[in-house]
Amino acid sequence: MYVFQCEDSIDGIFTGVYDAWASRYGHKNIRLSADQSGDITLFDEYIMTKADFEKSRKVSRTLLQRLGVEFYETICRCAMADGTLRKLPMDKANAVYQTIVMALALPEGAKVLEYLGEPCIACIFELCRQTSNEGHHLIEFLRFQELKNKILFARIHPKNDVLPILAPHFTNRLPLEHFIIYDAVHQTAAVHKASKSYLIVDASSIDLSLTEEYSSDEEEFRRLWCRFFDTIAIESRINLKLQIQNIPKRFWADTVEL
Amino acid sequence: MDTITKFQNRKSEICAMPQNSSPSARLSPTIMEKLTILTDAAKYDVACTSSGIDRRGDGTGIGNTLSCGICHTFAADGRCVSLLKILFTNECIFNCAYCQNNCNSDIPRATFTPEEICTLTIEFYRRNYIEGLFLSSGIIVSPDYTMDLIYQALYRLRTVYRFQGYIHVKAIPGADPLLIEKAGFLADRMSINLELPTSEALRRLAPCKSRNTILKPMRQIQNSIIHNKNEIMLYDKTPRFVPAGQSTQMIIGATPESDFQIMSVAEGLYQKFDLKRVFYSAFINVTDNADLPALPGGPPLLREHRLYQADWLLRYYHFTVGELLSEDKPNFNIYLDPKCDWALRHLEYFPVEIQKADYKTLLRVPGIGAKSAKRIVKARRGSRLDFADLKKIGVVLKRALYFITCSGRMMYPTKLDEDYILRNLLSDTKQVPREIKEEGYRQISLFDDVNFGGDLNVCVPMRG
Repeated sequence: MYVFQCEDSIDGIFTGVYDAWASRYGHKNIRLSADQSGDITLFDEYIMTKADFEKSRKVSRTLLQRLGVEFYETICRCAMADGTLRKLPMDKANAVYQTIVMALALPEGAKVLEYLGEPCIACIFELCRQTSNEGHHLIEFLRFQELKNKILFARIHPKNDVLPILAPHFTNRLPLEHFIIYDAVHQTAAVHKASKSYLIVDASSIDLSLTEEYSSDEEEFRRLWCRFFDTIAIESRINLKLQIQNIPKRFWADTVEL
Repeated sequence: MDTITKFQNRKSEICAMPQNSSPSARLSPTIMEKLTILTDAAKYDVACTSSGIDRRGDGTGIGNTLSCGICHTFAADGRCVSLLKILFTNECIFNCAYCQNNCNSDIPRATFTPEEICTLTIEFYRRNYIEGLFLSSGIIVSPDYTMDLIYQALYRLRTVYRFQGYIHVKAIPGADPLLIEKAGFLADRMSINLELPTSEALRRLAPCKSRNTILKPMRQIQNSIIHNKNEIMLYDKTPRFVPAGQSTQMIIGATPESDFQIMSVAEGLYQKFDLKRVFYSAFINVTDNADLPALPGGPPLLREHRLYQADWLLRYYHFTVGELLSEDKPNFNIYLDPKCDWALRHLEYFPVEIQKADYKTLLRVPGIGAKSAKRIVKARRGSRLDFADLKKIGVVLKRALYFITCSGRMMYPTKLDEDYILRNLLSDTKQVPREIKEEGYRQISLFDDVNFGGDLNVCVPMRG
């Protein structure tokens, strides 16, 4: 068995898919791995791949042309997921590879995503759902703070790389605002300038001291919001278990009211 | 524990505030005081959803909407906070017995200005606190006057601030149809509260309202929606009227109606008035009015929960009220959800074969929801499904396993017998409702028995 070891990113996995396909070892003899733990198996030959933007773009183009936008987005969401959170039947990168091979081989193409009985599809389904769910949670629970220079700033701590889901949503929602969404876990940020499109940038060298100076109104609206939040609850129905079930505690630190 | 005390401390702060510095003592209450009073007055309204319409922002203002709806946070009672839910004013000339804002109660009163409502909505929305505005109101001066104030606030928000987020507005019963029509072109959803399930109860507890003043505007909105849809087919640019549909709410447990009566009313509303949603609100006695029941066990939350479950069965699972309840069995089983209860009484339809059963049959299996039924129908085209696959798809096997076969086999050898399945379902304590576990059997039967002491064997499912 030949194992293609790839980087844990969309570009990394797509490069792995490209190299594995181009190697002509036969799909049965190939496995992809995005596992960064360093555990390796005996009797397998490991081939290191390095993320290559050109190769990744070629894979993206093939997927979009032959299998459609929906298939492409599902695969991307799967690649954005953190594959170490739950026990999966196979490695994330390998599931992506097997699914692409299956979809390109069968006449029904993108419809293979519905065949949840197949292990690789079940894996894609699980990971895609994991990313989408967290993306939706953060669309709900993300909070902006208005900084002194009127820029809206939000800090999030997601498990999966969800900025590509959040950025288009907020760009459409707040077209006339400048805003920054900072992903403190993955050290990336989505930056939006009023009336323009957004950019996702590397934020490992961001200067966070600038984000601690709020505008003059900010404190007042935070207090109003907290008051509203406390008042809206009905005392005779208080149910903290239900509250935690609905808004898990890991999101609390980044909200204003909890 | 810590959170509870924190909540209560904050709570007592809020309750103390308006009394210490009564707004009537000073000329103008602060915006913080107004927000507190008018949020507190609005909190018993249940319909805080922001669903039903997809609308992209046009780039000239602020906001968009998603048809799935977005809940921005969850309050200490576990209910979703999606919209800025406030009253325009809590002054009211009506005297509904169940409502804390009725003209006879001695509470601090406040009224927003349209500008204040706009500022709060926009500033909260920018910070992603809320999904839009839920505006209701007490009746100040007259229904027409109130409806006009509401219209002005919405007009300002939509045109001056170019707000394109979600707006849910209450139509005031008795207001001029023209005013309701104008507000409807600015709102996404409109609702008129049915308040109580029967007109007799309405006459007794809300003498200023009548079935007629509630159903007339409801019919008007329904007709306008249909008319507007036909117009949109002809002219694409026509402004849209209440695009997310209309809803209503009923108070549960203030009057002695049975679940069968309540669900029949709901079914009628869905069929005859094209309502998007009917909400059920467990009665909470806030006015200490002698005409209203005292509920020592707290509000009938479990009953409310069962009604919502049945409501879902009506809207998404092709059930009818007649299948779930009847004159002889007018109330839901508090131990089992309505679908399980139905399945146990109709074992002749089971077991269902996963590889072959059609979508509607799959929907009737306890533990299989609308989403998993759809996934099963698609996934079985690719390969045979076994129980492990079903689990991954999202089927709740511990409920479904008594009712399904995969390739002719059951998951475990089980008996297709009502008592046997019931015993097994209830032996898993996670399946027993929280209220029953915490409060014990006796207390729940006291307030869940809406016949007030009549028929006690409705909720004794275990035999042996």
